[in-house]
Amino acid sequence: MVAHLRACLWLLILTIVLCCGVYPLVLWGIGQAMLRHSAEGSLVRGPDGKTVVGARLIAQPFTSDEFFRPRPSAVTYNAAASGASNWGAANPLLRDRVARALGPIVKYRSGARKGQLVGEDVETWFKEQAPDYVATWASDHSASAEQWVKDNPDAVALWLGKEVDDVKNAPGDAAKVFFAGYAKRHPRTWPTVEEAKAEDGETVKRIKPADKGSDLQAYLFDPWLQEHKDADLEAVPADLVMASGSGLDPHITLKNALYQLDRVVSAWAEKTKSDPAAVRAAVERVLAEKTEAPLGGLVGVPLVNVLEVNLALTQRMPRLQAAR
Amino acid sequence: MWTLPLLVFVSTVVLAIPLGLYMSWIFDGRYRAPRWLHWVEEQIDVGPRNWKQYAVALLVFNVAAFLVGFAILALQPLLPLNPDNKGMLAPSMIFHTACSFLTNTNQQHYAGEVHLSYFSQLLFICWKMFITPSIGLAALVAIIRGLRGDSHMGNFYVDLWRGVVYLFLPLSVVVAVLLIAGGVPMTLEGNAAVATLEPGAMGMDGQGAAKPQEVARGPVAAIVAIKQLGTNGGGYFGANSAHPFENPSAWTNVLTCLCIILVPVAQLVMFGRMLGKLTQAVIIFGVMLVLSAATVVWGISYDSLQPNPALTVQASRDYAMVDPASPGGRRLLNVPDLVGLPVDQSLGNLEGKELRFGTSAGPTWAAFTTNTSNGSVNCMHDSLNPLAGLAPLVGMWLNCIWGGVGVGLINFLIYLVVGVFLAGLMVGRTPEYLGKKVEAREMKLAMLAFLIHPLMILGPTGLFTVTDWGVKTTNNPAAHGFSEILYEFSSASANNGSGFEGLADTVGFAADDKEEKVPQRAWDIACGIVLIISRFVPIIAPLAIAGSLAAKKRVPFTSGTLRTDTLTFGFVLLGTILLLGALTFLPAAVLGPIAEHLGPLPFGN
Repeated sequence: MVAHLRACLWLLILTIVLCCGVYPLVLWGIGQAMLRHSAEGSLVRGPDGKTVVGARLIAQPFTSDEFFRPRPSAVTYNAAASGASNWGAANPLLRDRVARALGPIVKYRSGARKGQLVGEDVETWFKEQAPDYVATWASDHSASAEQWVKDNPDAVALWLGKEVDDVKNAPGDAAKVFFAGYAKRHPRTWPTVEEAKAEDGETVKRIKPADKGSDLQAYLFDPWLQEHKDADLEAVPADLVMASGSGLDPHITLKNALYQLDRVVSAWAEKTKSDPAAVRAAVERVLAEKTEAPLGGLVGVPLVNVLEVNLALTQRMPRLQAAR
Repeated sequence: MWTLPLLVFVSTVVLAIPLGLYMSWIFDGRYRAPRWLHWVEEQIDVGPRNWKQYAVALLVFNVAAFLVGFAILALQPLLPLNPDNKGMLAPSMIFHTACSFLTNTNQQHYAGEVHLSYFSQLLFICWKMFITPSIGLAALVAIIRGLRGDSHMGNFYVDLWRGVVYLFLPLSVVVAVLLIAGGVPMTLEGNAAVATLEPGAMGMDGQGAAKPQEVARGPVAAIVAIKQLGTNGGGYFGANSAHPFENPSAWTNVLTCLCIILVPVAQLVMFGRMLGKLTQAVIIFGVMLVLSAATVVWGISYDSLQPNPALTVQASRDYAMVDPASPGGRRLLNVPDLVGLPVDQSLGNLEGKELRFGTSAGPTWAAFTTNTSNGSVNCMHDSLNPLAGLAPLVGMWLNCIWGGVGVGLINFLIYLVVGVFLAGLMVGRTPEYLGKKVEAREMKLAMLAFLIHPLMILGPTGLFTVTDWGVKTTNNPAAHGFSEILYEFSSASANNGSGFEGLADTVGFAADDKEEKVPQRAWDIACGIVLIISRFVPIIAPLAIAGSLAAKKRVPFTSGTLRTDTLTFGFVLLGTILLLGALTFLPAAVLGPIAEHLGPLPFGN
């Protein structure tokens, strides 16, 4: 038995020293000596060449029109806590999230309104519904209504005159009461949330009724679509609306980038007061330069790294203005 | 579509053949160690042992490793290398993590970048990732020695040492350097705070200044290399190999995917070589190949070649519901039709997938990681299409296609013993394997090892499905929620470690361990127990079988001998595995993924 324990102890100590001391130190040394940039996380410097503006491999959020947008992130691009939605196909929240992303951006594919956004039609359709349609929506889409309350607990608590924790603990119950009450008080409007200064100077989130806007278009796109089965709509690239596994996927498909191209071009044209055609050519050149494909295209479709492309745009677009 | 799995597979086989020969060379002790290594081996070599002594040594070492591991986790706030000041972990989570990493499972109820310090990652995680596959390999080697009729089973400590020092350390250094070159970080610096390119994109802080993006990093490459090679699978980050820092490109994806099955395939070569019977190994390889290919093809067909059905057009359907109040005890429930959303899903289901690996990378990896007991993921299995989710489940249920390092082939040998027994009964001969009679004692042990697995999966799944522990922690409705529970216990019992990760099983830091965390604590404890039982029973019982076979006289080979190295026997084996698997798990499969596929999509709302 003593021999056993002695051997055991030897093994414990030796394996710990080798696997946890020598092994990582050797790798750390190799990394620092030969592959420093990637060993430190492939950090990218900005237009000034000094400030670190991101990690090449990690997606960061972009919201302005002049930037290409990354894939949706279930962790709001928190690079210190990666994660996914983990929603299966059976989960109504998945379809709901995608439909909401689609509402404000989907266009008609054919017919008299080809190329126009459906959003305005959704707003018009909403005006024709029963005054308390919002209450009907909430009871037909209970999971989505509950999610809405979960996303906006402060505003709902303020509206209901309840504690925020009560709303958070029973979002389903709060949703029923809230949407029923709201539909009565503000018929034919959709509840949005705004930030406002309260009397004591603190910022509070409160409900603001809206009869148009992207929130309304987002939430009511799917109900509208179910009553307009014949509408011929342009399909959106899936990676624009489906969240990645890590929440930090740095790429989008080239197809997705081209889908966003019009928006990006007109934003830069306006910002730099340049000729849209010249801007378009410049942006397309950036995309062409930055396009890559998995294993040289052997196993996947062409992609672009969103941060790289946007960085190139911020570097080159001002030059376009200067040249003019 | 099919290039990626083929590429991974062919390169694995090419590398596995020399590696397997090398492994047999090491474990038969035919190398000559340099003097200082030789001296170390003398210190730990307590001499050759029979199977009981071998098993005791294995258990003693595991107890010691458990205690050391538990202590490292429990003392996290007091230990060094903690630049981001990670606090004390909740007690149940420490227990679960200690069990999970002791058993080569790496099931994670924590998220690496959130809960662990660099010290815990390097001392606890990295250490366990090296020793636990070596423990499995040592057990396999001992069993092979028993099967070939050696007078003893060898020495556990020496075998473990050989696995760590001559196999996993050199391999890991090579893979890790390639990974760093591919973009995987290897640093001891804390999180990088980067100013976003679009100012304020991460929001504003209290003072109205733009928040930076906190980018977690660390000694990632060291851990990812051994995580993949040792069928460990525990990610450095919560998102595992889907995280861009664990798997930065399509190249690293091929490399790490190959590493998942490399040693499990190589151990077949080692098995054939050590026995001196390569055809035996070839037949086993063939059976595993068929099963493995089937899971890959199944996964790709239902996930990469099909859109996510949550967004597609759904026809109106009638469901017959059991309802005692209605005439005939049934009523019809109509689910109206649904218009598809305008989404171009030509790349298949992209929810929970990363783009840079290529189109079929998710299901390919999902199949390999559950064929073996690796359990790392490069896409989120919870978001796989309903039927595609069956591929990883089946892999874990059978738990013998390639399998974990060491233990995978051990599990397969159990099926083999059962197959020999069935075939023997069918042709009316005394079943024998490698010239040794398989009798009542061996069959009892084989059944014990076999039955533990379904018992440990289905029992707790039933319990959690009807209690708040399960009901309150699922992230998806109905059948998919059931699948989440089923998957978690399948993963625990198969010592796999992957998950339908939506399941809310995280207690977190001790400071978060409040009263409402009872279900999460239940997950920790239940999984911890399943992990331990399902690891050690299926190691010890086969050791006993091998010990008992070794002691028997070899029966002379005659024309009446039931041969185990023929194609016919291969088919018998395949049939045995499929039959046993279907008998035990088909009902659960119907309640989970198959019901989800048939049910209304989306469910509810």
